[in-house]
Amino acid sequence: MPIRPIYAVLERELLRMVRQRTRLVAAMVRPLIWLLVIGGGFAAIAGADYKSFLVPGVLGMTMLFGAMLAALGTVYDKESGVMRMMLVAPLPRAWMVVAKLIAAAVAAAVQALLLLVLLALLGYVGRGSEWGLLAAAIAATSFACAGIGMLTASFCRTLENFAGIMNFVIFPVFFLSGSLYPVRELPPLLYWAATLNPYTYGVDLLKHALLRGGAGADFSVALDLAVLAAATLASAAVASWRFSRESAYEPMIHVPAGRAR
Amino acid sequence: MNAPQAPGVTTSAAVSAVGLSKRYGELAAVEGLDLEIAPGEFFGLLGPNGSGKTTTMHMLATLVRPSAGTARVAGFDIAGAPVQVRASIGLVFQESALDRTLTVAQNLRFAGLLHDLPPRVIEERGRELLELFDLTGRRDQPVAALSGGMRRALDIVRGVLHQPRCLLLDEPTIGLDLPNRRRIWRFIERLRARTGMTVLLTTHYLEEADGCDRVVFIRKGRLVESGAPRELVARLGRYILEVEGADLDGLAAALEQKLGPALREGDVAHFRCRDEDLALLAQLQAESGGKASAWRVRRPNLNDVFLWVAAGKRVA
Repeated sequence: MPIRPIYAVLERELLRMVRQRTRLVAAMVRPLIWLLVIGGGFAAIAGADYKSFLVPGVLGMTMLFGAMLAALGTVYDKESGVMRMMLVAPLPRAWMVVAKLIAAAVAAAVQALLLLVLLALLGYVGRGSEWGLLAAAIAATSFACAGIGMLTASFCRTLENFAGIMNFVIFPVFFLSGSLYPVRELPPLLYWAATLNPYTYGVDLLKHALLRGGAGADFSVALDLAVLAAATLASAAVASWRFSRESAYEPMIHVPAGRAR
Repeated sequence: MNAPQAPGVTTSAAVSAVGLSKRYGELAAVEGLDLEIAPGEFFGLLGPNGSGKTTTMHMLATLVRPSAGTARVAGFDIAGAPVQVRASIGLVFQESALDRTLTVAQNLRFAGLLHDLPPRVIEERGRELLELFDLTGRRDQPVAALSGGMRRALDIVRGVLHQPRCLLLDEPTIGLDLPNRRRIWRFIERLRARTGMTVLLTTHYLEEADGCDRVVFIRKGRLVESGAPRELVARLGRYILEVEGADLDGLAAALEQKLGPALREGDVAHFRCRDEDLALLAQLQAESGGKASAWRVRRPNLNDVFLWVAAGKRVA
């Protein structure tokens, strides 16, 4: 395993995260808005427990956004040309995808841990939590989200369509999960969509870890872990294949004018 | 220019290509290119825009797969052992590969770690190379704060940090002003003097290729001329006659009878002349009877070779 190259990509990702403070602040504020404002509002209809129900969902949201943004940095690397340094590195292309995936997952997990501290200070996370399971849930969910991110990045030529990615990938993945409502109470069509969404199982695992006795969870811990692992591996495999194609690097590799696309 | 190597024979050449070709649909970017570059050689790949220089570089650097043909770089096959090839080369792209938001040192650390260098080695070599490239003191500045010339220099440092056996420079001085171009060449000279590494470069600035041990001209993806710069210039002719005039077409047609085909460059007609043409030139000038508004005889240089090659004319 090319440890140093993977570490290089990870270190750069963390440097970027620390430097882009507004992105980091947004990663903390966004879930808190959902929890305090939307959770507070819906608590009026759904009952005071709704806010606690929402805690795993907003923790997951931090990982989803954090991992997606970091993974989509791959497209930015392509546009800015920084990926040239990775292209000339003496390692098989697939490792570049793995390195980026690990970096995105770690960035997401770090953001989740920061948010966890905030949530604990605010009193939303406490003694009912199963810490070992929580650690596993954060790790597995971060990796799965990073996988979805790398898969998305491997289909993006430019970041121009970032709004499209927001609307057609990030939002559906978030809304069609158990983040805001129990999956089993969804109408059939939405229920099926949610069960096909790997992110659902990440949120479910967080519910097992954070809600007393796994209240509100829809699936078993074993199923959650299995689906998340499978989703991570599958998306890594497809993204590696996509990034092994020469055409994935066209913005950086000279293609003569007049070439028929 | 070189006999094709029998397959499987290991070569001591730094770079050897046989029939290297790249097609994009109908378009042949590179066609049947043969190259043989000796270790330590300073080798120039020249040709007009779109002649296939960059595509060739990218094939040798394993970024682009050839449609046909093979090449070995530092003894490794570009198709069979791309990772080993990338480990033995340094590639400096036409465009920057640096992260503008990171500092100089952070960029080198990133590049070095990607090449599996230990942090201590990156630190040491980085310091030496930054000194060699006059960048000491810039270590902790973000790349965005560097001038274009400094960024180019840093990109070369980045490309040689892992001590490649062969350095590929794709238009290393493009977009730079003259003082910066000269600086970059001084750096490359220092680097060659210190490491003895093979350098393969492409450039548009032909006077810069004068320092090469050997150059090849490619046109439309094919090799058209090769040799030492001085030898190529000598092959072109002893003198170049440049003629301007009101009725240039008529004038040139008359002169072509005596001097061979002309090369038209805007309002100037160029003719290649041999030593023995010198007496003839004086006579022709007298005969033209003032029809020429300018009549210049000068020594040819590599730019002339380039112009004749670009116009699709044989130089031999």
